[in-house]
Amino acid sequence: MENLQTSKNSFLKYRLKEMEKIVRDPILFTSILLVMISLVVFIVWPLYEILKESFVSESGVLTLEFYKQALTSSENRRILFNTVGLGVFVGIIATAIAFVFAYADAFLRIKFKKIFNLVSILPIISPPFALAMAFIMLFGQRGIITYKLLGIPDANVYGFKGLASVQILTFFPVAYLLLLGILKKIDPSIEEAARNMGASRGQVFKTIVLPLVKPGILNAFLLVFIQSVADFGNAMVIGGNYTTLSAQVYIQSMGNYDLKGGTALASILLSISILMFVLQKYWIGSKSYVTVTGKPSRSRNLIEENHIRIPIFSICLLVTAFIILLYCLIPIGSFVKVWGIDYTPTMKHYEYIGKMGVKFIKDTTIMALIAMPITGVLGMVIAFLITRKKFIGRRMIEFTSMLAMAIPGTVIGIGYVLAYNERPLMLTGTATIIIISFIFRSMPVGIRSGIVSLQQIDPAIEEAAQDLGASTLKVFTSVTIPLIKSAFFSGLVYSFVRSMTALSAVIFLISARHNILTAEIMNQVDVGRIGVAAGYCTVLIVIVVTVVGIMKLLLSKLGVDTSQSKI
Amino acid sequence: MLKKRLVALGLSAILVLGMLVGCGDNEKQAEETKRLTIYSGLMQDHMIKAVEEFEKETGIEVDAVRMSSGEILSRIKAEKENPKASVWFGGPADGFISAKEQGLLEKYESPNAAKIPAEFKDAEDYWTGIYVGYLGLVGNEVLLKEKGVEMPQSWEELLKPEFKGQIIMANPGSSGTAYTALATVVQLMGEEKGLEYMAKLDKQMKTYTKSGTAPGRMAGQGECMVGITFLHDAIKYKEEGMKDIVIAAPKEGTGFEIGSVALIKDGPDQEAAKMFIDWVLTKEAQNIGQTVGSYQFLTNPEASTPEQALTIKDTKLIDYNFKWAGENRGEMVEKWNKAVK
Repeated sequence: MENLQTSKNSFLKYRLKEMEKIVRDPILFTSILLVMISLVVFIVWPLYEILKESFVSESGVLTLEFYKQALTSSENRRILFNTVGLGVFVGIIATAIAFVFAYADAFLRIKFKKIFNLVSILPIISPPFALAMAFIMLFGQRGIITYKLLGIPDANVYGFKGLASVQILTFFPVAYLLLLGILKKIDPSIEEAARNMGASRGQVFKTIVLPLVKPGILNAFLLVFIQSVADFGNAMVIGGNYTTLSAQVYIQSMGNYDLKGGTALASILLSISILMFVLQKYWIGSKSYVTVTGKPSRSRNLIEENHIRIPIFSICLLVTAFIILLYCLIPIGSFVKVWGIDYTPTMKHYEYIGKMGVKFIKDTTIMALIAMPITGVLGMVIAFLITRKKFIGRRMIEFTSMLAMAIPGTVIGIGYVLAYNERPLMLTGTATIIIISFIFRSMPVGIRSGIVSLQQIDPAIEEAAQDLGASTLKVFTSVTIPLIKSAFFSGLVYSFVRSMTALSAVIFLISARHNILTAEIMNQVDVGRIGVAAGYCTVLIVIVVTVVGIMKLLLSKLGVDTSQSKI
Repeated sequence: MLKKRLVALGLSAILVLGMLVGCGDNEKQAEETKRLTIYSGLMQDHMIKAVEEFEKETGIEVDAVRMSSGEILSRIKAEKENPKASVWFGGPADGFISAKEQGLLEKYESPNAAKIPAEFKDAEDYWTGIYVGYLGLVGNEVLLKEKGVEMPQSWEELLKPEFKGQIIMANPGSSGTAYTALATVVQLMGEEKGLEYMAKLDKQMKTYTKSGTAPGRMAGQGECMVGITFLHDAIKYKEEGMKDIVIAAPKEGTGFEIGSVALIKDGPDQEAAKMFIDWVLTKEAQNIGQTVGSYQFLTNPEASTPEQALTIKDTKLIDYNFKWAGENRGEMVEKWNKAVK
């Protein structure tokens, strides 16, 4: 008892000392404070509003009624099962594909790496349901493959098959980028040492490479799982009867005008994601994977044995060819009269876009460009604070910033509308609220890749700088950022791209004055102008590629090495 | 130390500004010029054309955004404390009825509403109908020919074995159109028989789409033999190049929607909003739709019926009870869910 008391006291003293250190470093202190405030205001508060909505009855009494309703219906139970099943399935397959690609990219001597990279990037830079559209063009009842080539009369692409395939292709690139970053950082000298001692390639892979990327693999799986569960665009376009929670949240709150039931479902969905997140923390958090002291000492000798190269290369080639095919359909679809019926070439869809859509295109691009640097810097600052600093509230920062990713967009959208419609923050209907939603929707990925990169770097380097008298800001800008700049750059790019293609949350925030491109594409799909929708998709992809290209150019002029980032 | 503090202050100021201002977006409520914000459930091009004409005639600047009825209703509900828009323009009346019950609409009796027949407007003047659309069946001629089947002409014929896995409608939970279909069947056959029918129909379904216009599009693209949707949308698709489309109205009788317009409670610029409502009820404004591919029947008797819609002019309609449909929506959808599981 006595002992316990003293240890408690000394612990408290230690914590206070920690706090004192923080307070004495004004830049660190203010940035922690600012990060906390922004997270509370833009993530916690809307969530609170949603919970309030789901726990409080119309007459203002606390109630569990909406949850009872949500959980007792057999349909909702089936939907819950669907959602988790889909998430796990897509998570496993997508992570596996991502790993094969990342491994091929980092370890093998093969041609066409450039194409692999391009192809794995395409799903990231396209609007949320572009692939679903292309899939229907290929495998629908009148699809090119199912009907014209195979002659299947009643092909049904809707449902689990279609949805899972589209999600895998859409989400594996994020996992691939994450894994590639890690694989590239592994110091080859350890493997070479093992090889010199007579270990086979297989043994090296099993005993060295795999353990090192394990946290990355789990991270990748988690990332894909949460995205799959929150995915809204594909579920709406190609899900068919296989309803998932995020689609049901939308149907419940929008279609049935039952906001409370919808938010209750959303809270359940959120719990699943939080559970996954906690599981991952517990699983990985206990191990440390320090492998590098800054940078790999030298570049690796790429593997040239054919029995390893050929199977891996074939898998990548197949997936690549398939994705290229899918993406070719989209611009082609924008130049023909009516897909599946009348393939006469035409420019009329683009004429329509030129007449009706210039404002959407301009507005979306500008808002995404504004969100990009804010997201990138904020993401890296948060990653740095989480991995390198000890302070009260660190866990809260980590947890909330990751939470942003786990919230289904449709719900955070409603949350934003509920929260910012009254004083003190009257933001609904402004461009600001759209930009903020862009920031908080895409930031978690930047934070995650920042954390993964930082976890691989021995803090000793930064500590050395600190011991030599550098301030936190100095350490951050001149030691940390250079070490993780590829993560930073891909965070920037990802933020821009993700903002350009965001849909589920923003759809609630668009106003008559500030509309976005993806919502307009959805409108066009909705009214059946596939040609126009495909045209908008094409324009969007061109814009993204252009902006990313310009960024790479500028950065290389500034002497930042962007070859690490695969866009 | 002082320098550091200054740097810290500067940094935090930049961050805060970045967070709150985002883009220096000058949202000045321009009081001097009249501005009007509209949420519209119409087709995009119809909305844009109507707004352009109105701006030309009045000089009032209009911001309009297109959303589905469900989205508009949720939006207005969420913005109740601080409404952003003043007019809800287009979309089926049941949404308007629901909004009226929740106290989201403002009573307004337009002088031009006198011309509109009583069955197309709210008895208490909370909303006024601007067009009428008939629910029906949309088939794909080529697919039907391939299988050697006749286009179904009634609700009953949809249950024929040859249509198994070849019918698409939207989910009544997410789509106003599909809910109209459900409410139509229930009003036509009675609740018990109607739900039984829906359960049988469920066995024939290929899929339920989320949006109400999708079944017509999918039938046109050859995704299914028959879709259940509003016929004016199907006519539009046909005009836009889906030439395999054929349409039919179920001979037992079918339901319909009344597209409406209403004033949003406490919305800004109520005067401009009222001017807009007056304007959309005129025959000139109602005739705009058919120039941009919207072929609904119009509520102003002086407006001209689109010639594309003449073929379905004599469709047998049921005495569709909007009040009942609006009030029982949640319950009916729940019962339907249970029936088809």
